[in-house]
Amino acid sequence: MTATAPATYLDPVLLARIGDLALLARMVVDGFMHGMHRSRRVGLSLDFAEHRAYQPGDDIRRIDWRLYGRTDRFYVKEYEADTNASVNFALDASASMDFGSGPVSKFTYGRMLVAALAWLSQRQGDRVGLVTFAGDLLEIIPPSTRHLRLILHTLGRAKPGGAGQLRPMLERAATLTTRAGVTVVVSDCYEDPVAVQRGIGALRGRGHDVILFHLLDPAERDLPGDGAATFEDAESGERLPLRPEALREKYRAQVAEHRAELSRLLAQNGTDYVGLTTDQPLDIALHAYLEQRLASSRVR
Amino acid sequence: MGGLGFLVPAFLAGLTALLVPIVLHLRHRERDQPRRFPSLMFLRRIPIRTASRRRITDWLLLLLRAAAVFLLVAAFSRPFLGRTATETAAAPARAVVLLLDRSLSMGHTAVWPAALDSARGIIAGLAPADRIAVVLFDDEAEVAQPLGSDHGAALAAVNAARPSSRGTRYAAALRTARQILGGARGLVGEVLVVTDMQRSGLAGLAGLELPADLGVRAVLVSPAKRPNAALVGAEIQRVPDGERSRLLVAARVLSRDLGAPRRTRLELSVNGRVAASREVTLPADGATMVTFDGVPMSAGQARATVALPADPLIADDTLHLLVPAEDALQVLVLAASGGRPEETLFLERALAIGRDPRFAVQRKTGTVLSTATLRDAAVVFLADTPVPGGSGGAALAAWVEAGGGLVEAAGRRLGARPPGLSILPGRITGTVERMEDRGGAFGEVSLDHEVFAPFRAGGAAALGAARFLSYPRVEPGEGAEVIARFDDGAPALVEKAHGRGRVLLLAAPLDAVTGDFPLQPGYLPFLRRLAVYASGHEARPPWHIAGESGLIPGSAREPVVSTPSGALLRPGADSAGRALALSEAGFYDVYEGRAAGEPVETFAVNSPPAESDLTPADARELLLGVRRGDSAQTVATEPPAPREREGRQRIWRLLLGAVLLVLLVETVIANRGWRGTAATGLIPSSERSLS
Repeated sequence: MTATAPATYLDPVLLARIGDLALLARMVVDGFMHGMHRSRRVGLSLDFAEHRAYQPGDDIRRIDWRLYGRTDRFYVKEYEADTNASVNFALDASASMDFGSGPVSKFTYGRMLVAALAWLSQRQGDRVGLVTFAGDLLEIIPPSTRHLRLILHTLGRAKPGGAGQLRPMLERAATLTTRAGVTVVVSDCYEDPVAVQRGIGALRGRGHDVILFHLLDPAERDLPGDGAATFEDAESGERLPLRPEALREKYRAQVAEHRAELSRLLAQNGTDYVGLTTDQPLDIALHAYLEQRLASSRVR
Repeated sequence: MGGLGFLVPAFLAGLTALLVPIVLHLRHRERDQPRRFPSLMFLRRIPIRTASRRRITDWLLLLLRAAAVFLLVAAFSRPFLGRTATETAAAPARAVVLLLDRSLSMGHTAVWPAALDSARGIIAGLAPADRIAVVLFDDEAEVAQPLGSDHGAALAAVNAARPSSRGTRYAAALRTARQILGGARGLVGEVLVVTDMQRSGLAGLAGLELPADLGVRAVLVSPAKRPNAALVGAEIQRVPDGERSRLLVAARVLSRDLGAPRRTRLELSVNGRVAASREVTLPADGATMVTFDGVPMSAGQARATVALPADPLIADDTLHLLVPAEDALQVLVLAASGGRPEETLFLERALAIGRDPRFAVQRKTGTVLSTATLRDAAVVFLADTPVPGGSGGAALAAWVEAGGGLVEAAGRRLGARPPGLSILPGRITGTVERMEDRGGAFGEVSLDHEVFAPFRAGGAAALGAARFLSYPRVEPGEGAEVIARFDDGAPALVEKAHGRGRVLLLAAPLDAVTGDFPLQPGYLPFLRRLAVYASGHEARPPWHIAGESGLIPGSAREPVVSTPSGALLRPGADSAGRALALSEAGFYDVYEGRAAGEPVETFAVNSPPAESDLTPADARELLLGVRRGDSAQTVATEPPAPREREGRQRIWRLLLGAVLLVLLVETVIANRGWRGTAATGLIPSSERSLS
């Protein structure tokens, strides 16, 4: 079921050379879907699910007459139908996302990820929307089946910058739509895990299924480098002189603890947490997304 | 003896610059290149001891540099000796951001001159030490003059401003002001908004956050009532009239504060010529629909303009419309030789019903297809007849390759005598009989496909109600996509791209003999959407709103765009198309290669209808919903500058001379190597350690 797609389609370093987001998204999704078995086309069918006793008000055309012939009771057929949900993408465009120790910055990776997921969602018949945020909500594209191209244009134009906090932005994003759906948050989550949980909680409180992609650069995870250096905060400009090799172990422990705490707290309110580093291929994110959609799309 | 005074005491704040040489001296920042890192959140949590490194190593150089800074600051503060020092006390300098509203509503003849006068008055009232930035805004903000002391440049920016065709968004302007003042530390920040306080512009302010000590003041330049009549919308429709068609236009006029009903005349122009006019009485306040007599039209695309007589707000007195070319899509139905007309009756009737788009159906039997036959067709339906061979087949294949849509509606005839290989996306291998189980139905259907769009929101039941007693068995070809299946798994609708066109093979019979599909409610929407999809037709709006984007068709490889103001643009592109920002009201023409000949695409653009409602809001509403501290509502007072004392002071010249002297000495000392003991390179590792 989870056959791996050809690596060339999903390697972020190769994908980052493609300037055209529409082409990139199509390549990623086609490459990924090529690796899946044909039978698992999520949400596209009218598959029979089960029988249910007939109740007044049910459409009599849905009565299974053959079952009636065998049991002398009325039953109606139920199907698992496509949800056609609203999928809203929330992309962190703060200055901290503009960081990459390799050829792919976190923002570039996040942009490719959102483009690919939006393309995939559109293929599944979902309405797609986009919110980018830093210190404020920068771009707001409401969910629609016609907004994919607008989303790709907006992503292509977007530039990271400015300082921002995740929680108030998620709370504001939650107020943008009254229709429950799926919200995909892509951020580096430089905020207290409890604050992130509360921001996500605002979305959950409005009935959204949420999946959080936590992006990190390998250098953020490992703190490489030797010798004294002054580190400058990309958002606040604050500087701190230090020796990375002396702090590395404690720093790694802090990062690991932060990720574990985020995962634990978000699991408590039913949110999927996916930690990613920018050197990982995109299929991890696509699989996580599809699994979440599978879990939430089986409606009657 | 008189006391020591300063003409520009605000410059004394520059004494804080004394810290600069000290900090540089301590941290050696000129040699320590900072390493940008996304966040210091985790690093800050790790305790680091760095106290012992803070040691001054070269006192003489430090004192010389500090003295140079002090003397320089003192010189710029313009010291003088007067009778009393208190006479010269002055308020601190201000950093003023002038937000000048240039939205469409500001173009009112009673408003724009007043707005310019107000803006000029604000600049003229600044003290010499005050800094000013000019921001022009509509639904976006543009920094016309960055924050600086050049008041003349600010005045020039104001004089160059013109009203635009776009809407109002105060949030965008205030956000820009906040950003500008974020870089003006040590000054009293103030935002002055010269505006007509149009209520529609307040949207989006909720949640905006401004610093608590930032003063915001609205300078209202609009009279309480502004009479205005505006064209805010229209409905257009083509009605067939013999060989030609007639254009029906109904325009919506909004009138506000006219005082009394007013008699006026609207004109409808088509392709630059006045085609119709209508006398109408507008109410003092309210909306009126004005319907023009039908205008004879040719089949091609046309540009229409509805105009009111000019009033004080001219920009909303004209409405630009794009009348699409005759929107009837030509559908060619090829019936089998010897087939009865009843076999395609449901198909023809279903396509003939409805508009947007309208279908013109032509049924032919036994016709040999040719390029001429296919020239005007958008879709070809093969009604249970095989794809023609020979020259007709080649013409059909070439036509599809160039963008045509082909639908093979297979039925009993093809099921009984399966045709050979062709451009169809699958092969017919026989007939499936479902009489015994009282007919088959649609099973797995790709609801995300455009063909089934009408059935997404709970309409799938209408599709599933159809029963088919027999249907052709289809085997999908290579590269074909099955977008619907019967409940036994057999393909019901198969699609494959062929060049720029689409070929669809439909195995669900469209007649009422082998099933009841034509009698079900799903038949009509399914068939119309199938034809629209096969044709590749896309509906277009008759106009855009200024500020939106238009997509230039991919067929224009090197597009040149002529804007309503006459400027020429060359928009960039990617594979998803070229986006064109439509910022002016009027017609945008897109040409291929050079701006000559017939445009390949035209966009009509109108101003936002909300801009025509000139009802002003209360100035206090500007800060409603804006998050800030209790001390927010401060407005800086005008500081009097003691310019009259300027002629009596000369000390600054002596101070500048002293600065030069100190710097000379510092250079000599530094070059003679007296810094031998100063630390070099990065911070010594021994001086940084974990606690």
